[in-house]
Amino acid sequence: MSAAGVAAPAAGGEGGAAPVLEARGVTMRFGGLQALAAFDLRLEPRELVGLIGPNGAGKTTAFNAITGVYAPTGGEVRVGGARVNGERPHQICARGVARTFQNIRLFKELSALDNVRVACHLGARAGWAAALALTGGFLRDEARLTRRAGEFLAVMGLAHRRDEPAKGLPYGEQRRLEIARALATGPKVLCLDEPAAGMNASEKVALMELIRKIRDDFGLAILVIEHDMRLVMGVSERLVVLDHGVTIARGTPEAVRRDPKVIEAYLGDSYLEERHIAVPDDRPGRKS
Amino acid sequence: MRAPGLALRSLLPFLLGLPALLALQGSLSDFWASVLITAGVNVILAVSLNVVNGFTGQFSIGHAGFMAVGAYTAAKITLAAAGWAPAGLPPRLADGAVFLLALLAGMVTAALAGLLVGMPSLRLRGDYLAIVTLGFNEIIRVIIENTAFLGRATGLSGLPRRTTFAWAWMGVIATVVMARRLLGSTHGRALLAIREDEVAAEAMGVDTTGYKVKAFVVSSAFAGLAGGLLVHLIQLCTPRTFTFVKSIEVVVMVVLGGLGSVTGSAVAAFGLTLALEGLREVQEYRMVAYSLLLIVLMLTRPTGLFGTREAWDWLPRLPWRRRPEEGA
Repeated sequence: MSAAGVAAPAAGGEGGAAPVLEARGVTMRFGGLQALAAFDLRLEPRELVGLIGPNGAGKTTAFNAITGVYAPTGGEVRVGGARVNGERPHQICARGVARTFQNIRLFKELSALDNVRVACHLGARAGWAAALALTGGFLRDEARLTRRAGEFLAVMGLAHRRDEPAKGLPYGEQRRLEIARALATGPKVLCLDEPAAGMNASEKVALMELIRKIRDDFGLAILVIEHDMRLVMGVSERLVVLDHGVTIARGTPEAVRRDPKVIEAYLGDSYLEERHIAVPDDRPGRKS
Repeated sequence: MRAPGLALRSLLPFLLGLPALLALQGSLSDFWASVLITAGVNVILAVSLNVVNGFTGQFSIGHAGFMAVGAYTAAKITLAAAGWAPAGLPPRLADGAVFLLALLAGMVTAALAGLLVGMPSLRLRGDYLAIVTLGFNEIIRVIIENTAFLGRATGLSGLPRRTTFAWAWMGVIATVVMARRLLGSTHGRALLAIREDEVAAEAMGVDTTGYKVKAFVVSSAFAGLAGGLLVHLIQLCTPRTFTFVKSIEVVVMVVLGGLGSVTGSAVAAFGLTLALEGLREVQEYRMVAYSLLLIVLMLTRPTGLFGTREAWDWLPRLPWRRRPEEGA
């Protein structure tokens, strides 16, 4: 499928175009705990950026601050140049920021198609009255949403699961359905929270390929949280490394890999060696 | 599809329903008519409450409060119009027009009450709504009992008997059509998404607070309709009809039928009404019977009789039943 129907931002060069997503000194405090300190991020159109860091580093907190789940206690978040601090998640979504969740949050009882159709709902024009009166405009609207949702299912290779309830899908397909659902909101920025969590090595590689393909086909900027450093290094153009809520490094994967602070915080403790010996797959619910 | 065809499709349930109901009405005894009207009123209540409790996954236990608002509004209007007989209009037609107007006005005021209660409380999640709606139910009752205009505790009596079998069941058709069409629309899916996962629904662009309020307003409007219909059957409008006990009765019907299932609510409401009619001898034990029924059901079938499914989901897929998304 082409990127038709999805607002494709103009290809951004270095510096020229405005960033699609920008965080300036975003700080999140929960009582006395500072979960995120002065977080800066600029995401240019069509850029694929990895956000990495050890467990509890504040990656998901950064996501939640950007997507409006939390209102940042300090700093500001801008989407397409507009300040969105304090807006509710659905408003930020309407501005073009879509996300997936680390612990899958599908609408379990709804079919795969309906999961995606809910996300298409931003494009619905017919109101409640039209729906109750079954007007022609409403029926055309529904047909259009259904077609669009079907296309997103097909893009993610889920067309055969169309009518199955989301809870019955294998784990890897649930992850893909979450991405299909996020894409259906018509975003300019896609935020993926550990999309490869719980997958095995080959599934992870396939997923990263898919993410790159989505970026190219839809012309999106993508921000990926990933735990597995090797994986995200292969696919990202830039990395931001968090530790204890503080940004300790940023730059190309090559530069980050050599940064002594990153090695100490993240790659130390023979982390990489362990990964090489055995990829732990102790997450619950993994099944494919 | 052309515009006339669409209008026909839109009104089809009513066009088919009215003659059928009128035909059936003629063959009903007074006793059965009143039992079936009561059943119809309960079906309206259960199906409309299901929009909030079943589709949207909220927990409202003050449905009788909205019923009261609709009932008193409609009662005031028919009382005020008593004896109004415009020249040149057959009296039955004039009465019918007044009654229709009264019912619609009752729906509007109940919807406004729903808006008033829903706006502040639906920002909160979970149990808060239950507390607020319960409180609202009591507040309405206390207000009525202390307002001379509304007849205080003795209520409004001498209402004309306007609710016939056909009126009540046209209301049922309207309610069921509303619920089914809502479910089949993008708005209904947004409500289901809120039930399934509010955080995810919000992140996918669903204005969860706005949708919850809308669902609540629609649900309240139909509770108002049920109230208007009921008091014009029993010809009496008292605060005792709309107590917390009535609200719980409706909740039981919805849970019994299956949260989220329109046919489930309808079948449970209908069945329970008939069962209660049979238990008329032992009225004082009816809450005991209700509680026992709920306990047994929750132990044996926690999702309710129908779960979230509809009655026809058990039918074999018939060749002429296309999936709705393939139509249009």
